[in-house]
Amino acid sequence: MRPRTRKPGTTLLCVGSILFLSLTAPALAIDAPETINIDVMSKFYGPVTFDHAMHVDYASCEECHHHTTGEIVADPNCARCHTHHDAKTVVSCSKCHVADRFNQEYISKLEDPELYHLDKPGLKGAYHLNCVSCHVTTSGPTGCVDCHALTEAGEKLYRTGAFTPETKTASGKEH
Amino acid sequence: MKLFTNERPDIPISNHHKEDGTQWTIKEKLLLGLSVQDYWKQFFRNPVNWLMIIICSIGIPLLLGRYIFGLGWVTHASNDYPWGLFLGFGLFGMVPLSASGFLLGTTVELFGRKDFKSIERLALLNGLLGYFFAVLFLEVDLGMWWRLPYPMVVSLGPASVLFLVAWHVATYLSVQIAEVLPAFFEWCGWLKGKRIIRKFVLGLTVAGIILSTLHQGALGALFTYAPAKVHPLWLSTNFQWIHFFCSSIFAGLSMVIIASTLIRNFMGWRCDDTFKNNLDYVTVGMAKGASFAMITYLIIKIVAVAHDQEWSYLLTGWGSYYMLELGVGVVLPMCMFAVGIRNNWLKLIRIAAFITALGIIWNRINTSLICFNWQMYQEIPHWKEVWITITLYSIYFMTYRFIVYRLPIVYGWQDGK
Amino acid sequence: MKFMEKLSRRRFLKSGLAATAAATVIKNTDSKASGNFEGYPDGMGVLVDLTRCVGCRSCEAACNKEQGLPEPEKPFNDFSVFDELHHGQKRRTDETAYTVVNRFDMPDFDHPIFKKFQCNHCNEPACLTSCFVNAYTKTPEGAVIYNADVCVGCRTCMIACPFYVPTFKYSSAFSPRIMKCIFCYDTRLKLGKAPACVEVCPQEALSFGKRSDCISMGRQRIRQNPGKYVDHIYGEHEVGGTSWMYISSVDFDKVGMDTTLPKEPILNSVKDFLAIVPMVLTIWPALFTGFHLLATLKDKVMEMEMEEKRKEKEGQA
Repeated sequence: MRPRTRKPGTTLLCVGSILFLSLTAPALAIDAPETINIDVMSKFYGPVTFDHAMHVDYASCEECHHHTTGEIVADPNCARCHTHHDAKTVVSCSKCHVADRFNQEYISKLEDPELYHLDKPGLKGAYHLNCVSCHVTTSGPTGCVDCHALTEAGEKLYRTGAFTPETKTASGKEH
Repeated sequence: MKLFTNERPDIPISNHHKEDGTQWTIKEKLLLGLSVQDYWKQFFRNPVNWLMIIICSIGIPLLLGRYIFGLGWVTHASNDYPWGLFLGFGLFGMVPLSASGFLLGTTVELFGRKDFKSIERLALLNGLLGYFFAVLFLEVDLGMWWRLPYPMVVSLGPASVLFLVAWHVATYLSVQIAEVLPAFFEWCGWLKGKRIIRKFVLGLTVAGIILSTLHQGALGALFTYAPAKVHPLWLSTNFQWIHFFCSSIFAGLSMVIIASTLIRNFMGWRCDDTFKNNLDYVTVGMAKGASFAMITYLIIKIVAVAHDQEWSYLLTGWGSYYMLELGVGVVLPMCMFAVGIRNNWLKLIRIAAFITALGIIWNRINTSLICFNWQMYQEIPHWKEVWITITLYSIYFMTYRFIVYRLPIVYGWQDGK
Repeated sequence: MKFMEKLSRRRFLKSGLAATAAATVIKNTDSKASGNFEGYPDGMGVLVDLTRCVGCRSCEAACNKEQGLPEPEKPFNDFSVFDELHHGQKRRTDETAYTVVNRFDMPDFDHPIFKKFQCNHCNEPACLTSCFVNAYTKTPEGAVIYNADVCVGCRTCMIACPFYVPTFKYSSAFSPRIMKCIFCYDTRLKLGKAPACVEVCPQEALSFGKRSDCISMGRQRIRQNPGKYVDHIYGEHEVGGTSWMYISSVDFDKVGMDTTLPKEPILNSVKDFLAIVPMVLTIWPALFTGFHLLATLKDKVMEMEMEEKRKEKEGQA
């Protein structure tokens, strides 16, 4: 077990959106954008402005970009196949991690007996799984709204803010 | 009532004709041959009736409240404990205690033991009323009580144990009504009806055994749906139906002993000599039957523990409780029956019958409430739930008494066999 | 043996008739009671990864919205609910919530484990097999759905469900019903879409896919992360298999899951009883009518003798 601290309130949805576009090796940093606006999935939470340049100081490329930037991949499960160090032409998260992970078409592709990457997270999962776990170990922000603000639709969904329940009694609770 | 029966030779009514040769009207029969004033006088003189009035005056509004404000208003039945006292006592307790109908029916009609004839009608009535009130308890507990006939006509789920219970209880209720009808026909003087039923008696009795075996067993089998919830000592998936069926035998017999004892002591005026003179003999006979059933029950209880390898549970607190239940509810009355039979101590037998009946109710409540969710918290029934249960039971008592007062159950109708 | 014939034929027929009537009533008792159904081949499922769940309660919020459930007592981003205890128990599903997340503090870990819970959509659901009005259906897509129009409110499904899932609307006098997760069948699953909770989950703690793929996915995660997971997919075999399955870094009994459940469907424990039903129906009538004939034989013989004597007397006279 990797030690992590997770508290209910603080962890989540949040941190969001880091890996969106490309991180390249410092030498190539010139190709990498300074900031990335992650807004493809904003619905209940607003877009995230991801400071790519700042994150370059915290993590090496392959920690977020796996094998695509030409560094030696850290995860031993990846290293079994991805031994070549050639940088790929496309390194953005969304090119591999689809936003609509559970649509029928995608699910039926998993039937392919040749397919190894059965369990590749969707884009939202990829962001949160990667960002939150790192933020926990490096004491980065981990609360949902630390990275992205709730939209009105979000407040409505969570029944918070302007939509906070007034009555404190819900029927049937004692049963 | 005793007062009037001493004063007037023509009551209690046991034939169609008054002293002067005219016929009793139905209204007069209903009023037990008394004037309306006299009827109420005797009614209010009885302290038991006052108790009933008190119970019902609170219980009936509560009952109405259940239908207006919902089940949640009266019970502590919950998502963890879906069944409370209404079913734990009302269905699972009342049904075994009403096994008397098929037991005595079988004894008399099938095995030809005419010596038990004098108690047969009481046993049949006890069965009918018990089932009828078990259904009433169910009607209080069912969420959509107005859909009671759904499993029969609207949407059938025949693979379910409850489907079996529903059909069998419904069919058996009809069988029992048919079995008790002759008494009613005698009382209202329609002898043709009685003769018609007489022709079907054997068929009805056999149907009674089949249906009773299956639904008494099915009530037990209902708990085999919850193998992970009921404490293993109270649940044996292989033997559960036999446990429930076998225990219903001594439960039903004990209930007849109790009812006949109460009737003889408090309604002596209503019993005829045949009933009174035979009572001790049939009581001993039923006690014998009950004690045989009890020893059988004990053995299969032990077999079940052995079969399921549950000896280690006996050493826990639950095990002590289990042995307490069996000890007080079965072993003790069984020994009392044995001693009572040997020495012809009727009093001991009657006390034992009372303990047996309580023991059965205890066992059913243990299975459905106390040892259910044994690894979770314990649900305590709501006071309204308890009160409604007592109210319904009081209504059962009054109905029982109302019928025994009138129909030829513990006496023979004089004219027109 | 003339009297035997006379007596038995008519009476036997009559009682036989009654028994047959009883038999037809419950004849098809075991038509569906097979007990080894392994789920529809293309049924969908969800793999819940407890190591990923962070307790954000987004699934609860999404479920509430999707299913049009009543307004909650507290906002869905209020995490004080994790400290609530009812009867000493953590929160559970009820008529206002089809799914809840609970926090389990782990003394050995520096972080708690969160567990989302809802209907597990069994392959051979106990609620379905115990229902006497067929209110439940296991759809080919994998959902266990409920039909409130035929439900009688007996609550046997709640007794039978090994996961304590179905809940009852105790608060309603006129339109009570069972309330439970239906895998968003009407609004999503039927159309091939993932349920609302899966879609909203930020951590992808919930993975939706064919049940068989969910199992492969779970196995792969367990294999590729040595030491991270307990080597068990909860729900793969429990009570005959469920559409929703769980993998965890701690033993399942530490997060409030029943690890003593049988591997076979709940129905199997009822089978012993169901098996005796046809036996009783067919053997009892003959057996007891036979008993009757034997028990009353002496009476009949005496009756016949009396009759003969009477006839003789009449003849003499």
